Amino acid sequence: MQGKERLTAKELFAITVLMIAVKIGDTTPSLLAQHGKNAFWLMAPIAFFTILPSYLLLMHLLKKYKDKNLVELIEHILGKRAGKLVGLALFLITFFSMTIDTRNYVEEIKLLYFPEATTSLVFIIFMGVCFFGAKKGFETIGSTAWVLFPYIKITFILLVILILEEVVWQRVFPIWGTGLGQIVMEGMKKSSIFSQLIILTMAYTSLRKTSMFHKGALFGALIVIVEITFFFLLYCTMFDYNSIEKVAFPFHEITQYVNIGSFFTNIETFFMIFWLLAAFIRFILYLYFTAWIFGAVFNIKEFEPLLLPFGYFVVILGLMPKNAIQNELLFRENYLDMITPFFLILPFLLWTTAKLRGEFKK
Amino acid sequence: MRPVFFFLAVGLLFLLSGCYDRIELEEQSYVIGIGIDKADNDEKGLFKITFQIANPEVGSSISSGGSDEDPQQTITVEGSDFITATNTANSIVTKEIVLDHTKVLVISEELARSGDFLRVVQSASRTTQLRRGVQIVVSREDASDFLNNNKPTLETRPHKYYQFMLNRATETGIIPDADVHRFFQITEGDADLFLAIYATTEKIEEKSQGYEDQYIAGQIPQIGSNATQFMGSAVFKEGKMIDVLTGQETRLCLIFDNTIDMDDLLATYPDPIKKGYRIAASFIKKEKTKVDIDYKKNQPSKITVTVPFSLEILAIPSLVDYAENSENQKILRKTITDDINKRAEQLVKKAQQEYRSDPFYWSIYVRKYFRTIKEYEKADWNHDIFPNADVKLDFQLTQIEFGKMLNDSDLDAVRD
Amino acid sequence: MFGLFKRGNSSKEESKRPLYKDLKKNTEEVKKLFSHGVNSDFVYRKVTSNTNKEVSIFFYASIVNSQKIYDGIIKPLFESEKENLRSVIILEDLAESYDFDQVESDINSGKAVIFEENSDRAYAVDVAEFQHRAVEKPENESVVKGPQEAFTESVSVNLSLIRKKIHDKQLIAETVEIGERAKQAVTVMYVSDLVNQDTLKNVRERLNSISVDNVRNIEILEQHIEERPYSIIPTLLYTERSDRAASFLEEGFIVLMMNNSSACLILPVTFWSFFHTPEDRYLRFLFGNFSRIIRFLALIITLFISAVYVAITNYHSEMIPPDLLLAITSARERVPFPGVFEVLLMEISFELIREAGLRIPNPLGPTIGIVGALILGQAAVEANIVSPIIVIIVALSGLSSFAMANISLNYTIRITRFIFIMAASFFGMFSLMGAFLLWLMYLASLKSFGTPFLAPLSPRYPSARDTIFRKTAIKEMLRPGFVKPQDMKKK
Repeated sequence: MQGKERLTAKELFAITVLMIAVKIGDTTPSLLAQHGKNAFWLMAPIAFFTILPSYLLLMHLLKKYKDKNLVELIEHILGKRAGKLVGLALFLITFFSMTIDTRNYVEEIKLLYFPEATTSLVFIIFMGVCFFGAKKGFETIGSTAWVLFPYIKITFILLVILILEEVVWQRVFPIWGTGLGQIVMEGMKKSSIFSQLIILTMAYTSLRKTSMFHKGALFGALIVIVEITFFFLLYCTMFDYNSIEKVAFPFHEITQYVNIGSFFTNIETFFMIFWLLAAFIRFILYLYFTAWIFGAVFNIKEFEPLLLPFGYFVVILGLMPKNAIQNELLFRENYLDMITPFFLILPFLLWTTAKLRGEFKK
Repeated sequence: MRPVFFFLAVGLLFLLSGCYDRIELEEQSYVIGIGIDKADNDEKGLFKITFQIANPEVGSSISSGGSDEDPQQTITVEGSDFITATNTANSIVTKEIVLDHTKVLVISEELARSGDFLRVVQSASRTTQLRRGVQIVVSREDASDFLNNNKPTLETRPHKYYQFMLNRATETGIIPDADVHRFFQITEGDADLFLAIYATTEKIEEKSQGYEDQYIAGQIPQIGSNATQFMGSAVFKEGKMIDVLTGQETRLCLIFDNTIDMDDLLATYPDPIKKGYRIAASFIKKEKTKVDIDYKKNQPSKITVTVPFSLEILAIPSLVDYAENSENQKILRKTITDDINKRAEQLVKKAQQEYRSDPFYWSIYVRKYFRTIKEYEKADWNHDIFPNADVKLDFQLTQIEFGKMLNDSDLDAVRD
Repeated sequence: MFGLFKRGNSSKEESKRPLYKDLKKNTEEVKKLFSHGVNSDFVYRKVTSNTNKEVSIFFYASIVNSQKIYDGIIKPLFESEKENLRSVIILEDLAESYDFDQVESDINSGKAVIFEENSDRAYAVDVAEFQHRAVEKPENESVVKGPQEAFTESVSVNLSLIRKKIHDKQLIAETVEIGERAKQAVTVMYVSDLVNQDTLKNVRERLNSISVDNVRNIEILEQHIEERPYSIIPTLLYTERSDRAASFLEEGFIVLMMNNSSACLILPVTFWSFFHTPEDRYLRFLFGNFSRIIRFLALIITLFISAVYVAITNYHSEMIPPDLLLAITSARERVPFPGVFEVLLMEISFELIREAGLRIPNPLGPTIGIVGALILGQAAVEANIVSPIIVIIVALSGLSSFAMANISLNYTIRITRFIFIMAASFFGMFSLMGAFLLWLMYLASLKSFGTPFLAPLSPRYPSARDTIFRKTAIKEMLRPGFVKPQDMKKK
């Protein structure tokens, strides 16, 4: 790893927010809306607070061990063999998340802006950009994320301002939507939508100081949950409870609907630009972290050559589902439910093992 | 690898590939208005679709030729939905038809009343082309006739005409703001009534007794200019048109509905002192209407609506002194409030008894009494809550202004 | 360390030819070396002094001050009673040399070399007077408010311009010789208690590792010491303004100067040093920042407007407001080319005008502007070769590119613009944003002498945060942390 002294809390903050908050612009809201209808915005904080204890515990552990990133920590606590196994599982989970999510974004771009292009071509270009971006290394990604961060957020805020007058707040009622029980249950199941928080701890030792990681990540997580909840709330109040579940890409529906005065009426491409930049950065990070985890598990110091094969496999695997709906409703939904326990349990597993082995007494 | 190589590769790709979605501007035809009618032979699922296409060469200063062409081209084809109809239309129109700039969606009253309308719009919302901001207009005659007959004289370019016409008419409240997004929210929400714009290009029997807003489109006495009139609204219940509201009723609906803005409401009210005269005033609603629903299970709910408003008197043709005489003013206040109240009560009664639902989007105020959608749907706004509710209207005239003149000149004195 | 630089010359040092004890032999040898008699401005003067000593003087007449030779050498020789040459010659700089190589380089650098009888040492007196321009106004980086002294093609003049601005004993002007055949001196300037020693060492090493026969000026030196010769981003700042160089020196940067260049090189640089102009500082806080906003806008416009036009008209026609859309469409209906081609045609024409305008002899200058404007603007539109909107777009993009005053950045941006146009025509906004992101990431990954190119925006360093905007002069208390100066505080 080059130049550890470069990145600070600011860059990590931007990375955290960009990596997770972009979910407001993909199909995550409609996935949740299938279960929660007009109350699905509540599922975001539920999911977040479900994963929060695990996340905080993991941060606590990392602080204890100081100079270890996630995979090193796992291997240190669980031992070589078990550690490798868990690391491998982590890698596979990240890799498949990336595959499913990329397909999702590619379909979104294709459906909304390039209806006549083939999915594969859009996919290849998308991954091509991500590959070249990821090759530049973590610190460049961090810097770029920070440079673009304000512009992306300003456009999002602009969108909020424009949409506010169209919003009917009373639509949040009935407050529990499809029922409190179901919302809490589904929300907890979907807490893996915040699993990137845990994956990001791979970068624990890559900042100037580890204390900066705590600052950046926690502050980032705070903004993420506020932003996601607020946007989901906007979606809920923008669409009525029966319409929300029919909308596949609420973010883009909203950008299509808003206008600035009567002169700029169709401005969705403007928002798409910044959404696209955020999406690129997100998948650059995704690709980089996947390769990073793989490299850490198999002790490959120079993992950058891995980026190309990984990018290639993402394209090949991502093209496998026959259509976007299948990918979204079948794979993504089940996948998210499946990996949730892994991320919830992992930190507790690490902590208990460490405790039993008496690591903390030293 | 340097990015230079990547850029080179991109450049090469650009030269080699045909590029899927690339299309030049002049290879597209821009549709401004879409009309939908029932097909002639009454076949299910088949419609007559009319596209009104803007001619770019008219009205732009840079083009030398084409100025004697029509500003728009209107063609009608049959099809099951208007996305595939764009392809059929290409047998007549030379370029690819693009719906992105559509301003209005005109449907004939006949189709609207048949209930098939929902099917057509639903199928269109699957693609990105039909935007949620498109306004829905119900035309008295066939939509194709409407689009063909509509020949604006000042704004010859159709998009400008619709933009200005609808903007202004919505501001004055005589037609509602009726975009596709709202249509879906209300129709899919399965409560309340949706109001679409009502318009026509044909004259029907003129209503002789009408005041400034008590018309529906086609009834307004008019001499000269384009015959197209936008006035009043078409009431949709569950995607099906059931009635027409006059401009005045539409205005009242908009006053009651907080989700729609309205600017400028000029109307006349009967003069309480000199009968036969009317007083012109501008109705100003600065605060939101307060809708308070007291929901009781298995009992008629109580709906209390408070509308705070102020008036600015514009003209007093009877020359009665209202500005300085407080006694007169009191009478005036009472008459106007009563007048509005009476009309509004009529409308609410009509909604409760005839429509058995409300065009005011009041269902959103009752939702807070329910915890889940299931409970809410079971309580049934359309069938149970609203028709049986006990509605109390309260127009509160907070302020009355008399313009910049203190008093009118005394006509008798002038004539002396 | 000194040995390290001399690496390239070490073979010659071994074969040093010492001077003879005999004056005649020495004289003959020097005459032969400099082709006396053929070389018309090489002067050999034999003088018999007041004390009856024979002395030979050699110099190039074209590069010395003859008055100084007369007053400082010849006249004293005739008049002085003293024996020792050191006491006879009263000029300020008198060096001794013992071998012919030294003599050779002394004469080449404008010194008069004096041989005396029975001695194996020669005296070199500095009487150089190279011809150069006077100090003039900056031609390419003009300001309205601010000093108007530009560098000229003489290091000593330039040094004096800088010393005039920084009265600091720590301001060092170190000389490093480069070139294998015809050596030239590079003056490395820095403030020794501010500059980062590692950077300085790095610069010295790079200068010494240049192994070419001759580096004439800093324009060529720039290409020898930069890290990435193929990169589209410059990593050294080239400026002709002495006040700018001085302000960088005070922040801990290093300045390179050479004779024969009316400018200097500043390193390390960041994107911001290219983006800023000295006038931003001379103007008051609000005015300076206003001009920065305008320039930032110009940067965005010139990079994107053509590309965005291509992307939107070809892929996202829904985004154009209907009036504009119809106007463009009607204009384009009679244009025979696809949109991209149209844009490229006009962009290239603009570049042609610019290039031709630069090369054209001065008296013809105004003509080209008129012809160019006529051809591009009026005639092309009337002939339906391009649509009028393209002329506006390209003119705007061209005009905005002039706001990037720095010539290196200017080229960067012009080339990038073409890359973006290509990208936009390929897949609309999607590929344009991809290209832009990679371009930006490339920018972020660059380093100039160890300094990240986008610092202090990211990565962050303690600094005055002088990026797009600057603070008021009172609040700028820190030196830029990314050059790692020895002393951070300005106050």
